Amino acid sequence: MTLVSPSLLASLDFPAILDGLPLGVAVLDREGRVVTVNTALERMTGFSREAARGVPCRHVLRSGICQGKCPASGPVDTEIINRHRRKIPVRISAVPVLDPLGQELFRLDIVEDLSALRELERRLEEPGGIGKLVGKSPAMERIMRLIPAMAQAGAPVMVIGETGTGKDAVAEAIHKLSPRAREPFVRVNCGPMQAEALEAELFGRRQQSGEIAPGAFQRAGTGTAYLSDVGELPEELQVRLVRFLDEEAILPAGGQTPIRSQAKVIASSPSSPESLVRSGRMRQDLAYRLGALRLDLPPLRERPEDIEFLLAHFMEVFAAKFRKKVLGFTPRARRLLLAHDYPGNVRELRNIVEFAVMICPKPSIPPACLPAHLLEQLAAPGEKE
Amino acid sequence: MRVKRVLIPLFKDEVAPRFDLAAEALMAEVSPEGGFTTEDFLLPHPSADGLCDLVLRKDIDVVICGGIEEEYYHYLRWKRVEVLDNVAGKALAALERFSAGSLKAGDILFSQEDGHAG
Repeated sequence: MTLVSPSLLASLDFPAILDGLPLGVAVLDREGRVVTVNTALERMTGFSREAARGVPCRHVLRSGICQGKCPASGPVDTEIINRHRRKIPVRISAVPVLDPLGQELFRLDIVEDLSALRELERRLEEPGGIGKLVGKSPAMERIMRLIPAMAQAGAPVMVIGETGTGKDAVAEAIHKLSPRAREPFVRVNCGPMQAEALEAELFGRRQQSGEIAPGAFQRAGTGTAYLSDVGELPEELQVRLVRFLDEEAILPAGGQTPIRSQAKVIASSPSSPESLVRSGRMRQDLAYRLGALRLDLPPLRERPEDIEFLLAHFMEVFAAKFRKKVLGFTPRARRLLLAHDYPGNVRELRNIVEFAVMICPKPSIPPACLPAHLLEQLAAPGEKE
Repeated sequence: MRVKRVLIPLFKDEVAPRFDLAAEALMAEVSPEGGFTTEDFLLPHPSADGLCDLVLRKDIDVVICGGIEEEYYHYLRWKRVEVLDNVAGKALAALERFSAGSLKAGDILFSQEDGHAG
């Protein structure tokens, strides 16, 4: 084993090493005054290292434990208030750095920003769903059980569902529950667009200056590239997508040198890969790769038990948004809404409730406050109030 | 010019690093000439709401504090209370600088020479 000599260790650029860390780090002297902070902590606290230098750390970190049990013996979850008056949930770990005789030379306070984690926890605690996904039916509960598992896999995921079933929300939920949650989520609609423009949008383009204008895969980095309406992708781009899925490398338009990309691919389509292949809109090899992990979102008409729950959920959401005291639907309005087959799925139901809550002056929404086109479609004489 | 009533949330003899965690406060009346008198207040427990109540009850003109959350900052500003936040240092040093007319939000009053605080 090769030992690193003390002289080599002493020659290392310690501040530069700290700046390379994704966690906030404060170097403190034995009296708890700031010797320096790294770039991540500068960003988190709003204090530059020059401003923080020499200041007791309680005035820089300003955490929930600074006026109490500091330094804590183990990692502590607390919060800080930064210079921009923002409260940020953090985990602070104090690491003493000792000399060969066991005397404390200085202390490192490692500060991890827990904002993303807390936001995720908050979303998971929302009733009946993950993120923007809401549903109580067995079919939706199964989808919500599958999403965390698919989020952990690195393989591509295909989300299939009619318009309005929540394909985008599922893609976002998979990203947010994945280890890539802190990396970018880049969405590209593969729908009607010229092939050259779509190629540049996905894979980037080498400009006249020689610079590469980044595409979705470069922008996603180690995050997620979400390709909606993937069945609309021209065949030559499907070939390149297959190559990316096999080799994790992309060639920008007009470029000569492939660029590595570790982005996870989530694709969505209203049609299954099999039917896309049958209709000649998707290459078989791409269908095999994308279809390995798939989620089929059921249309609302196949899970009528969700309709009532969704009506109540969105009514609560929009009543809060518009600051209205709307308590429910009249029995007639409720019967009409339950009888509708929602070809536009959850999006249509959500829009109906938003409209009704927005225009209704009463605590109970009558049929008269439902969109006119819905009443015409249902054409129920005697139902209008 | 009239006498200004100033409140400084305390942590020991320092401006409290956190407004919401201070269980003690220093209230001062600063004359136009720069002289001041002080009085200490103890809160039953640390509370930003409790401090805001105290500020309004005592008809405070200026709050000098360390970190304060946006909602409390804007609430006090809305109540026409001047807030000098992000101040770090001894409370009396902050008060002296305020009475001299030179305290600003963001001032760090600890000595930072050679990396040591005063």
